Order: sequence, then structure tokens, then C-alpha cells
Amino acid sequence: MRAFGDVWRSNIFQKWVMALTGLMLVLFLIAHLTGNLLIFMGAEHMNEYGHSLRELLHGSAIWLARGGLLVAFVLHVWSAILLTRRNRAARPQKYVKTDWRTSTMASRSMALSGLLILVYVLYHLAHFTLGTVHSQYYAGQTGWEYTLANGTVVPDVYRMVIASFQEPLITTLYVLSMVLLGLHLNHAVASAFQTLGVTNRRISPLVRFLGPVLGIGVALGFCSLPLAVIAGLVH
Amino acid sequence: MNLRLHIWRQAGPDATGMLKTYDVANVSEHMSFLEMLDVLNEDLIGKGEIPIAFDHDCREGICGTCGMVINGRPHGPVAKTTVCQLHMRTFKDGDEIYIEPWRARAFPVMRDLIVDRGSFDRIMQTGGFISVNTGNAQDGNTLPISKINADHAMDAAACIGCGACVAACPNSSAMLFTAAKVGHLGALPQGQTERSTRAMNMVLQMDVEGFGACTNHLECEAACPKGISVEFIAQMNRDYVASVFGGRD
Amino acid sequence: MELKSNTPNGPLTEQWDDYRAHLKLVNPANKRKYNVIVVGTGLAGASAAATLAELGYNVSAFTYHDSARRAHSIAAQGGINAAKNYQNDGDSIFRLFYDTIKGGDFRARESNVYRLAQVSTSIIDQCVAQGVPFAREYGGYLSNRSFGGAQVSRTFYARGQTGQQLLIGAYQALMRQVGLGKVKLHNKQEMMDLIVVDGHARGIVSRDMVTGKIESFMADAVVLATGGYGNVFYLSTNAKNCNVTATYRAHKRGALFANPCYTQIHPTCIPQSGDYQSKLTLMSESLRNDGRIWVPLKKGDTRPPDQIPEAERDYYLERKYPSFGNLSPRDIASRAAKEACDDGRGVGPSGLGVYLDFADAISRLGKDVIADRYGNLFEMYERITGEDPYSVPMRIYPAVHYTMGGLWVDYDLMSNVPGLFVLGEANFSDHGANRLGASALMQGLADGYFVIPYTLGGYFAGGKLDSVSSDAPEAKAAVREAEEKVKLMLSINGKRSPTSFHRELGAIMWDKCGMSRNEKGLTEALTRIPELREFWKNVVIPGSGAELNQSLELGLRVADFLEFGELMCYDALHRNESCGGHFREEYQTEDGEAKRNDDEFCYAAAWEYTGVGSKPTLHKEPLEFENVQLATRSYK
Repeated sequence: MRAFGDVWRSNIFQKWVMALTGLMLVLFLIAHLTGNLLIFMGAEHMNEYGHSLRELLHGSAIWLARGGLLVAFVLHVWSAILLTRRNRAARPQKYVKTDWRTSTMASRSMALSGLLILVYVLYHLAHFTLGTVHSQYYAGQTGWEYTLANGTVVPDVYRMVIASFQEPLITTLYVLSMVLLGLHLNHAVASAFQTLGVTNRRISPLVRFLGPVLGIGVALGFCSLPLAVIAGLVH
Repeated sequence: MNLRLHIWRQAGPDATGMLKTYDVANVSEHMSFLEMLDVLNEDLIGKGEIPIAFDHDCREGICGTCGMVINGRPHGPVAKTTVCQLHMRTFKDGDEIYIEPWRARAFPVMRDLIVDRGSFDRIMQTGGFISVNTGNAQDGNTLPISKINADHAMDAAACIGCGACVAACPNSSAMLFTAAKVGHLGALPQGQTERSTRAMNMVLQMDVEGFGACTNHLECEAACPKGISVEFIAQMNRDYVASVFGGRD
Repeated sequence: MELKSNTPNGPLTEQWDDYRAHLKLVNPANKRKYNVIVVGTGLAGASAAATLAELGYNVSAFTYHDSARRAHSIAAQGGINAAKNYQNDGDSIFRLFYDTIKGGDFRARESNVYRLAQVSTSIIDQCVAQGVPFAREYGGYLSNRSFGGAQVSRTFYARGQTGQQLLIGAYQALMRQVGLGKVKLHNKQEMMDLIVVDGHARGIVSRDMVTGKIESFMADAVVLATGGYGNVFYLSTNAKNCNVTATYRAHKRGALFANPCYTQIHPTCIPQSGDYQSKLTLMSESLRNDGRIWVPLKKGDTRPPDQIPEAERDYYLERKYPSFGNLSPRDIASRAAKEACDDGRGVGPSGLGVYLDFADAISRLGKDVIADRYGNLFEMYERITGEDPYSVPMRIYPAVHYTMGGLWVDYDLMSNVPGLFVLGEANFSDHGANRLGASALMQGLADGYFVIPYTLGGYFAGGKLDSVSSDAPEAKAAVREAEEKVKLMLSINGKRSPTSFHRELGAIMWDKCGMSRNEKGLTEALTRIPELREFWKNVVIPGSGAELNQSLELGLRVADFLEFGELMCYDALHRNESCGGHFREEYQTEDGEAKRNDDEFCYAAAWEYTGVGSKPTLHKEPLEFENVQLATRSYK
């Protein structure tokens, strides 16, 4: 095996890190979205789901997942920084005139969309997980308990979501970020498969199709929550 | 037809360059793009000015010497064409045309539209070959190679080393060039022995030369005058990782 | 001066084996003490440089390109011949030898050609081992086709890019040696002179095309693989940068130039479209398998082709050569096209073109079959001309394609200047007066991979060479001369660009020393070319010598063409016969066939330089044919 330093510094290795961690984050997003969509089944289901996540494996599962996500997130961002710096340096003198054929605004601004999503994620955690911003809607506050059918008392996550999305600032930020996330995924998914080398003549068209499907699907899926709240479909 | 050209002029590798505007009149639609520049150059010489330096040689689209970015596209607007095979009938009277050199840190400008592509040679030197000395070969037919594999190797081997892939890539990445060579030799039984070290060494050299990383925009495939597929990049990504975990050296 | 071919004794079939069996060898430990300069990195140069480095010699390779992969060998489309007889159709080494000798109109040396046919088979093996993706059959075995009218299928090919693939194979081998530090590659360096010390070739003077620095590089032997001189015609199918400078400079330093008048014209090129035309594009001859060639019967008929009725068309090849028709050999088809155009019946805007019509083939076989056979060629034609050959007949015209002449070499591929070896198209050795299709690639690689590695070793083992350095007076003088030449050229500051001189020279050469020649025209050319050397009073080269200056590069090349053109005309004028690529109008049969004169001209004409504008001295190497009978071809 080649000296590890060489391998580590090579662009393809960094891209593998980016692709693998990216796909882990996509899996997380799908899981997260599935959980969120429980809102359409009512407060009981959603709150029970939230509770069971915290209870799984005597409460260690959620920490394992959080740890894994954190590592994936850090590695994803780290490789993004290295690759972006490398790519910027590779063309010190820009073209006066450009006329792109296949790349899109979205594919060329992955670093920017990624950065904005990162900022949003921190804000989102501060809001929904920690309750340090918009604490008036925090599910963990006193008085927001919910009693499940089996008698267990849990925080009312359902109420937090509905209350939050009635705030226009929160909803606007949320929808904008989900659109960004959709654009990010639109390029990211096919790109990850290409980087991992699983594409070929037969499956490439499928993979190239997967990006937009996931991008639009995830963005629409998440946005369905605030839209449903505003439309009064869930309350 | 009459055209207005904005051409990158740069006196030498360390000089500062800028776009200069030239009006050319009575351009025949049958001219090739390079012949149009020839005529402009003859004109400039007549006026005692320094003609525009641009690389070219075979003028039939195979040597890979010529190359310039025309209105933001390497080799100009027509797909699967080198600039020497681009004809003026593609343009129309009154067009404004921006002409710039390949832009990449690994392709420093030597003069005007001429860049130094020595970095490609250095990538090749680290593994773009099969190590066989002259005179050691067995009979060519003792090693049957399926037509599919031979054709696949040829698809990759069609690369003319012009550098349009690098020029087109938003990241100035040389992945398509390198992957074409790794893919060509990797598709053949003769190339298996060194397959793993080849991918590793060529990729590392690509980094040393200062090319960017592939972020899968696929601009390279669209700009390639020989239409080489990005499928070869996926293949090289696989070969590379296989060499990280499996290679021994 | 007596020209010794150094052909080994013994029967033809054993000469090369015998030569190698008795060759003096260089001790492996000593090989690295020998420095070899290889100029040019095309098929011959790259293969020679790589192979010599593998053997352990210290090699410096020079190319004026930015990469060794760009040499003009890359443009060869059709294929490479080899006497493999994989098709079991009667091919053999002797048959390839015989076809080459006969195709060359009996003006090549038997021993060299036989060796070429012998090593041809090893070339294919070597290239396959390097990873050249030759076309394969479904069973996985190598595919062959018949090419250029050969009666056997012995041509190996890689799509329409055989030259490119073979060159890349050699380039890869070269890159490997560069990576190993055994070849020092000098890109963007143009040879300006040969350095001869004590009668031996000991180095070159070269100009760095980026910095303009002129310096000497010394060695124990110099190998020139610098290609042909077709660009003396200005318009040819050669790449724009191809030039005669390296071989002509060697000629001026004493190397004999042999048979410069042998030039091959290719009949199926895309006609010139205007004065700005910079080069001509060749289309595969295979088009003549299905296309019919014609011109209007009437002079000056400007009707579009579809409005000219069948009865008013002249299918002149089918009329004159009923048995071969449109598939008549290259030179015959070319001359017939020129005659039709000279007669005022040419087509297209310039009147220099004939129709190659696929209408019959399309109605007989269907458009799909034609598209399958020639799709890529039709596409290329349409890209260049803007006309769709499925609906409008193609226009074609002959163009200069290959030059058989070159520096005179012996069996060892060494010129009369000891230590100066010449390979590939740059030498005169294997094709006689005319080259067969798919044989140029074969010769380049044979010389580089399989001949020079032996013969160069023999030269080194044969005698001790004193060491010389760049301080040798001969080296310093050559550098000074080159610098002064550049300085002089830059100081003229006249009115005409180098291209305008080149174009005018080309027009004279094409007109007087092109497809067909006659005494009057050649004599006229011999007065007009020296006049054109007013170049030295009236050329203008903008910029300086200390920078990348393409006008200067061109000026230096054109200056040599302006002397070389004269040499060609002298050779063409002296050869009072027609043979292969040399057609003298005075010497033809009643049917317009080339009339050879074996009694008086069965020799290679090697010319010695005697000064600018002074008639060169002729030396003859008689050609003896012991294994073939001199025959006259007929295509009636």
C-alpha cells in the first residue's frame, strides 16, 4: 500500500470521502423526512416516534447516530474545503467569456449551497433540538407535555412543529433552505455514484435520473410540512 | 462576412495579457477558423505588427496541437470538432468572437493563445504505458482480445491530448485525459499487470501538476473533440481505490 | 565519391540474419557512455529513441512540438502492412518485398526492402504488446484488410486512426524512458544545423523556440527522423510545421540527398477553396471503391452536376482504363484529373476539381450501406465543404502526400557522413519511386524499432570516437552561423511575409515539378526559384529572436525550402524517364503510361551540395536486381 499521506492528499481519495459521507447524509435525510411525514398521521404517531428514537437501545442509539452524523458531516465539510481550494487554485486566471454546455448554476455552486445549508443546519439544531433560538416553541419546555396512549409523558414535538411553522420567518428560512438542499442533492447524488465508480454505460442514465428525483423529492417532502401548516391541513 | 474579434494577447509567460479587439472583413464562409486567423496575421505582418501566436499543425483534427476557447467553448461552438476543423460558416456576419487560451494553472500561457501542455507528458511518464522492451513480444495473435474490449480500448485511445477537457472543466481538472489513458490500457489484457500502479501514479502526478478535482460537471465529455465518455472517469475512480486497498509497491 | 551500400553478402533472404550474427557488439556496461541525439519524435524517431534507451544508450530526443505525441505520423489513416499471412491468402515476406519493389517502380535497393518485409511481422507483435488497439474480429484475433490495390489482406488498422495509435504506442514507450531518466526530451527545440567534426556527425545546433536560445548539443551519433519535404509545395496534406530544414542542413554539411524528385500525389483530396487555403485534406482512397469519377464533356460547363445529363458526362477513368476504371493507381488517377482540369473541364469555383459521384452506388446499394461504409468520410467532407455528399457529388483533386526521396543511406541507414543516421520518410531507402499504401508506417517503425538498434551498435563497436565538447571550433562556428542567420533575417525588414514567399514557391513547384514535369517547365523553375531568393532582401519578420516567434520559425524553414526546391528540379530534370512519382511528359507511351528507362536510369541519384545556386554534383548508386525481374506495369 502506498504511503498513506500521498493517498490521503490525492483528489480522488478526498472525493471518495465526500461521496461516501454525502450518501450517509442522504440516507439520514430520507430517514428524517420519513419521520417528519408522520405529522400527517397526527400528534400521537409523531410524538411516539420522537419518544421511541430517544429510547432505542436504552437511549444509546440516538447518541450513536448523532456521533456518526457528526463525523460524516465534519468529513463532508472537510473534504469540501480541500477540494474547493484545490479547484480554485487550478484556474488562477478566469475566462472572460464562458458558455457552459452541461454544468448548471447549481452544480457549479455546490460549495456555496453547502455552506448555506451548513449554516441552516446549525440554526435548525439550535431551534428544534436545543431550543436555544425560538425557545418559545421548544417542545421540551414546561407545559408542553404530551401523554401518549400508553400513558408515557413525552415532549409535544407535534405542537412545536405546528407552532414554529406559523411563524413566517421560520417558514421562509426553512423553505429557502430546502430549495437549496434540493439543488445540492440534484447534482450530488449522481456525482457521488460517478465518484464511487459505480456508473457505466448501462446504469449511468439511471443514476443521472436519480439526482433530480431525490433532490426534488426531498425538497418537496420537507416543504410539505410548513405548507400543510399554513394551509391549515394539520393543526 | 465581417467580424469583430477579441483576442487574448500576452507577450510571454510572465507578461500581463489582455483582450485586444480586431476587425476582420470579407471572411469567406469556406475558411477554417485557423485560416481566418492566418489572414488576420498576414494583415498584421503587413502593418508591421506582431502576429497572433497560436498552436496548430496537422489541421485535420488528429494531432491535438491546436486549441483555443471561442466564445467560452473550447474548440468553438460545434461539438466533436477541433478548432482547425471549425469552419467560418458556423458564424454569421457581424458576430463578435472572444478568443482565449486554455486556462489552467497546469497549462501556463507561453504567448497569446499558446499554452504549455508539458504537464500531460509528465502524467504519461508516471505510468501511461505498458512496460515492454522492444523485441520481447509474442506473436500478436497469441492473445485473443474480444472485439468488445478492443473497441472499448480504442474509444479511450482516441484521445488526441489537446487539453480541451481541462479547458472546459470549471475546475481545470485533467481527469478525462488521465482516465482515457488508464481506461485504454486497462481494457486490454496486456495492461493488467501494471493496472493498479498506473492508476495510482498517474492520479498522484495529476495532483502534483496542479490540476483540479473532478466534480462531475461533464463539461469535459461535451468539449472533447473525440467524444470520450466520462464513463472512463468512473472506471479510473474504481481502479484508483482498488489500488489504494489492493496495490502493493 | 563511391557510394557503398554495405549490403551484406549472401542470398537476399539471409542477409539480415547474417548481418546480425556477425555484428560487433557494444559491451552493456559501455552503452551508457555513448550519447545519441535523435531528432524528431514521429514513428521512426520515437521508436528509435525509446529502443536505444532500453538498450542502455544515453539518448537526447528533440522535437519542435510541445509534446512528442504530435508528429505528423499521427495523421496516417489507412493502416500498416505486415507479412503475417494471418488470412492465409498467399502473403509472404517475399510477396511483400516484391510488391514494394514493384510498387516502387524498381527504383529501390533490394536488400533494404527485403529486410523491411522481414521485420514487418515483429512490428505488429511489438505494437500489440504495447497496447495498440488494433481492430479485431469477433473471435478476438487481429483483423486485416486489403489496401491500396494489394491482392492480399495484409493491412492492420485501428479504425481510421492507425497512425495515431501506432505513434501513441511509440510515444508511450518513449515517455516510459523519459520517466526512467534514460531519455532527455527536448520539446520545442528546432534543429538548425548539423555539427560535423573530423568528418563525423557529432552534434546539432538547435533553437529553443520559447526563449530563442541557440545552442549546440554534442553526441557520438546523430539520428535524423525528421520526415518528408512535401511542404515545399506549400499546399500538401502534410502538417503545417513539416519542413526540410533538418535534412537539408545535413545535406549542406555533406550528406547526399537522394531522389528528391520522387513525390507521391494522392488523388482523393478535398480541393482548394480559396487563396487563403493553408493545407489540403486527404480522404481515404477507399472512396473510389464505390464512387464514380467524372467531369463534364464540354469545356467551361458551369451547370450544377445534377443538371448535366448522363450523355454529357465524361467518366474518363472508366473510358481510358476499362479494366481498372475508378480504381486505377494513384498516379494515373491523379494525372488524369489534372489533364481534365488543364483541358478546362474542371469543376468547382476554382476549376481545379473533379466529381466523385456516389449517386449510382446509393441507388444500387441504398444510402444506409454507403453510410455504413463511408459515413465518417462523408461527415468530414461535409464539415469542410458544407456540402452533403449524399445528394451532391463530392469534388476531389490530387494533392502532394508523401515524398519518397530523402537523405541517401546505406544498408545501416547511415548517410555518407559517418555517424549520421537517417530514418523513416527522411531517408530515401525503401520505397523507390513510389510508395505503396500502408507502407509508410511500416517503414518508420521498422527503422526505429528493429534496424537502428543493431546498426548503431555496429557503428559504435566499429571504431573509437574521440570525445568532443560544445567548445569544439566546429560547434562554435555552427552556432555562430545559426545566430547570424537569425539576426540577418530579422534585420531585413522588407515588405513580404514568409508565407507569401512560401506560397509563391509552392505554386512554382506544383506547376513545374508537380504531378507531371517537362524539360521546359523545369528549366523555367530553375530560373524562377533563385529569383525568389530575393527573400533575403525583402522578407519581413516582426518581433525578435529572443522570444516565441512563429514568423521567424516559418522564415527559417522557408529559406531552406527556397534552396531545396532547386535541388528537386535538378533531379527531376536529369531523370529522363518516367517512373513512379516522377512523370516526365516527354517520356510516356502512346497510351500516356509512364515510360521507364532501365538502361540509363536504374540508379539512385544522390546529390552533393556545392553551394547556394550552384548545380549539385550527381553521384549514382546503381541498383541491381537479382531476385526480381524488371517488369512494366499496365492497368489497361
